[in-house]
Formats: sequence, C-alpha cells, structure tokens
Amino acid sequence: MIFIMAWRNIWRNKMRSLVIILSIAIGLFAGIAVLALYKGMMKSRVRAVIDAEVGHLQLHDRHFKKDFEPAFVITGGVAVLKSITAMAGVKSAAPRSITNGMLATTTGSAGVQINGIVPHLEYATSQLKNKIIEGKPFDTAKQNEVMIGKKLATKMKVKTRSKLVLTFTDTSGNIVSAAFKVAAIYQSDNAPLDERNVYVTMTDLNALLSIGNAFHEIAVLLNNDNEVKNMYQQLQNKFPVCQVESWQEISPETDLLVKTTDQYSYIIMVIIMFALAFGIINTMLMAILERTREIGMMMALGTSKIKIFNLVLLETFFLTLAGTPAGLLVGWLLTGYYTKHGLDLSGMGRDMMSSFGFNTMIYPEFPWDKLTGILLIVFCTAILSCLFPAIKALQLKPVDALRN
Amino acid sequence: MNTVIDAHNISKVYNPTTIPVYAVNNVHLHLQKGEFTALVGPSGSGKTTLLNMIGGLDRPDEGNIFINGIDITKLSANELISFRLQNIGFVFQSFNLIPVLTAKENVEFIMQLQKASKQQREERVKTLFAQIGLQDKLNERPSRLSGGQQQRVAVARALASRPQFVLADEPTANLDTKSAFNLLDIMAKLNMEENITFLFSTHDQRVIDRARRVITLVDGRIVQDTAEVSTQHEEAAAVKT
Repeated sequence: MIFIMAWRNIWRNKMRSLVIILSIAIGLFAGIAVLALYKGMMKSRVRAVIDAEVGHLQLHDRHFKKDFEPAFVITGGVAVLKSITAMAGVKSAAPRSITNGMLATTTGSAGVQINGIVPHLEYATSQLKNKIIEGKPFDTAKQNEVMIGKKLATKMKVKTRSKLVLTFTDTSGNIVSAAFKVAAIYQSDNAPLDERNVYVTMTDLNALLSIGNAFHEIAVLLNNDNEVKNMYQQLQNKFPVCQVESWQEISPETDLLVKTTDQYSYIIMVIIMFALAFGIINTMLMAILERTREIGMMMALGTSKIKIFNLVLLETFFLTLAGTPAGLLVGWLLTGYYTKHGLDLSGMGRDMMSSFGFNTMIYPEFPWDKLTGILLIVFCTAILSCLFPAIKALQLKPVDALRN
Repeated sequence: MNTVIDAHNISKVYNPTTIPVYAVNNVHLHLQKGEFTALVGPSGSGKTTLLNMIGGLDRPDEGNIFINGIDITKLSANELISFRLQNIGFVFQSFNLIPVLTAKENVEFIMQLQKASKQQREERVKTLFAQIGLQDKLNERPSRLSGGQQQRVAVARALASRPQFVLADEPTANLDTKSAFNLLDIMAKLNMEENITFLFSTHDQRVIDRARRVITLVDGRIVQDTAEVSTQHEEAAAVKT
C-alpha cells in the first residue's frame, strides 16, 4: 500500500512532479552528454597522438633523447627498421632523422625540430600527407624542400614556395646551414606541435648531418591498440641497445589526461546532481508541508515512523525513476546521432581547439562503461535529497499536525 | 462490565512557566466496555485535549491513563504508535481520509499496518462496508464521496483494526442533518450489536441526544457526568425499595 500511495502521491501535483522529473532527465542527460563528449574527445586525442604524432611505439638510441645529439643514431637502423616492419602486428614503421635548429626567414627566426623523413613511410605512419592544407607533398625529384606547420608559417609570414634557411650542428659539431623551399604547409590538431616541427626529406637532412643512411628514431604503428604492451616487450627483448617507449611514455600528458578524464567526468556529474538535489529537496519539502495534516493523521492511526520515512523515500525514488529513463533515452539518442555524424565544434574556433591538441570534429560515445556509476550517483542523490524532507516528516507530532 | 478507559487526575497545562492555562484540570474518567458516551462542553472547554490524551496523541502533564490496564502515559512515542494501531480507532472532524487511496484501500490500510492477510482484509472490508451501507463505493476516491459518505468510511476505517474503543472528535460537525443522523444510526447500531465502545467530543445536540452517557466539561473540569447521576438515581431507587 505504501508503494501505491507513494506512486499516486507524486501525481497529486502533476506540474510540480513533471518539472522535477524533467529536471532529473535533463540533469542525467547533461551528465551523459559531458561524459560522452569527454570520451569522444579523449578517444580523438589518443587517436591523434597515436596515428598522427608519435605512433604506438618509438625506438631511439639510449642516449639520443638526453640532448638530441645527432651523433646518437640507432645502431644498425636499416636492419632494425626492416626487422620491425616484418613483425606480425606492425602496420607501418617510419624512420626519422632528427635535429634541433633554427629556422630563419627575411622576417625573423624560430627554434624548430627538423625531422628528416622518408615520405612514403611517414605518410603511412603519421598521415602527414593528409594534414597538408596548402602546397604539394615532397617531390622526390626535387631537393631541399621543407614542409612547415600553419602556425609557424603564419608566425614567420611564410607561404608555399617561400625560401627559408635551416641552421643546425652536424655530428662533428660544425654549424651547417641550408636554404629550403616551402613545398607545403600542413595543419594538424595540435597547434603547438605544428609550430615546432618542420619536415624535410631524410636524404637532404642526412647529407647535411653527415650521417649517411642512419637515423635517430623509428615510429611504429600497430594494427591493434591493445598490442602495445606485448609489442613493447618484444621490441625491448629484440633490440636491447635501443630505448623503446610507448605512446604513454612519449606523451605522458595525454596519458594523464585520459586517466584523469574519468575522475573529472564523475566530478562534473556529481556537481550537476548536487544542483539537482536542491530541486528534489524543495519539491519533497513542499510535498511534506502540504500534507502535514495527512501525515499526522497517518501517525495517529498507527503508521510507524519507518513507514512514513519509506513513503517519502519511495516518492523521491519514483520521481527519480520516472526521470531516469527519459534522461538515458535522450542521452542515448543524441549521443548515437553525434557518434554517427560527429559534433562540429569549429564554432569554438579550430585554432583554439588545436591549441589544446583536439580536433574540431568530435565523435561522442555513449559511456556504457560508466552507466552503473552514473545510475549510482543519480540514486544516491535521490536518497540523500529525501533525507531532509523525511526527517522533517518524522519530526511531526500527530497532535500538532492534526491541528494544522 | 470491563473498564476500558481509566483516567486518574489528568491535567494538561499550557504556558506552565508564564501564565498557566489548564486545558484539562484534574479529570477522572472511567469508561466501561460498550459505552456510547458524548463529551460535551463549549469551545475551549478541553474536549479535544482530553480526547487526544486518551487516544495517546498527547501526554498529560499530570495523572495517568490506563487503557485496558496499560498505563499509556508510560509508553514511549514508538510504543504509543503501535498501541494506537492495535487498540484505538479514530474518527476525525474533517474525515481525514487518505485522498490518494480508494475507500476500500483507506480501510485496508490500517489492517495492512496490522499485517492482516489479504483474505482477512477482504472479509473485514466486505463486512464493514455492508455495515456502513457503502458497498457500491468501494473503489471510489474520497474526492468522489460526499461528506457523509467520507465520514462513514472513516468510521469503517476506525473499526477495521478491531479497536478497544473508538474516539470521535466532533464527527458530525461537518455534516448536514441527514448525513449526521445516518452516521449516528450506524455508530449506535455498531455499539448496540457489536458492543463497540464510542467516546465522542461534540457540541452537536443531535449527537448528545443519542448518547447514553454525557460528560460535560467546562474550563477543563468535568462538571456533570450522567453516569454518576443515573448511578445516584439507581442507588436512591434501591434505598426506597
């Protein structure tokens, strides 16, 4: 009977109940939307890090990353690269010669990391070709071509076919300078990286560095993200002289972001529910105050305090229960739509998004893995919200309530 | 006869530290099983306060109230709730049915609190609704019943738990004459046929006329009790013979 009473009680004031049910649905939807958006953004960021920046794994000489000294090339690099490419589970591997230097134009100069690449291998591993927004990919028939990021190009007032000078030290410590012509301007989802990295062909760079056909880095892209740990181990065992790093070690900030996103998402969810709790408290308190006499009469007839408490609890529970499926459904439908079509955040500015390393097109994902947690937060909110009104109801004295 | 209510020297004082006002002042009251008693008096005479104390809804500041030998002034709040459920039926002036429950559910509610089985509840509801003459209104919500019908359902609800006695606070105050007489007929019939004890506060002459015992309260004191008068008459008659 308490169940029946609780259910019917919430419909005594339909408008008020509908408002709170709607609030719960909107709150839940907002929570789900935030989680889905975060999940989509994190996934997109991780994909960008793996597919377009560092790959799943990288190999270097053990001393190279201390000072980026060009002398520390991977010993037997060509053989290592060949061996890695032949390994099962490896999608592609790209060698890179790397040095730090100065880029100078007639308008100014900037410190950059110069990456010497084998174009077709690089295109397959880091999608560099797809990032070109102006100009053409490297022409193997031409020498001294350079590809620079949009942000750097804007900063240095450089266009395609502009000339610039790259200056760096070779393996002997001699300062080397060479003029390069801008073949293309690229733009990735990571503006800081675009500002810092320029690409030339490995043939051109290696000649200037005097390192022959050696190189400093091998970026490895795998077929499956879940194989990173396994492949990491295999590469370490196979090439003990090399330093093997996973994308999490190379880009710890991304790993930290992914790990903390779950916590942030839950915090946001709790904040939304905290705000919602006041709505529930207000509604239930109004419901109790309006029914003071009725509750007093129930107590007078012999209804125990625990039953009165249960009645208030059930009413809150039903209100929440009525709002939850609606919130979940809207959340699921909208997330499903945007998972398929993508959510274009270019309105917020591509530059702004890319300065944080995010794509403007986000594909949110319904957070199925967090559904239990979300529902738990919602129902804890409902239970905690009803405590104050329920205690108020229990404090009523039948004789005073009946006099009301 | 069995004593159902035995109240000794009960008093209820408001504002005890400033200007004390005695709502009930040193009242002695004894009610036997099967009595049909009206508690009368002007407004503010303490009728409702006395009824509330006897019903365990309020506590006296002085004195003791024994219901079937149990001193209810010594019971805790939770014990009182349970005691009321098992022993006392209430009929309120403004019906006080639970609006979201049907007439049948209102009556069943009390029996469910008593953990009666579904079959027991069904049988009792059938009997009670036959007694109050509302068999055709079982599934109606209170809002669809007239005042008189609601009060009859309230009487059925008061009797559902098979209480020791029924306390009715101004049961006819909100009823028209026809409904009031109808209700009084039902209560009198239940009293006569099932020996159910009724104690109601009222200043309605229609109720007073039907009561077999009338206790008059003025300023919190019992100034007249027809039971004592009739006892004196009986004693006088016995002396004469």
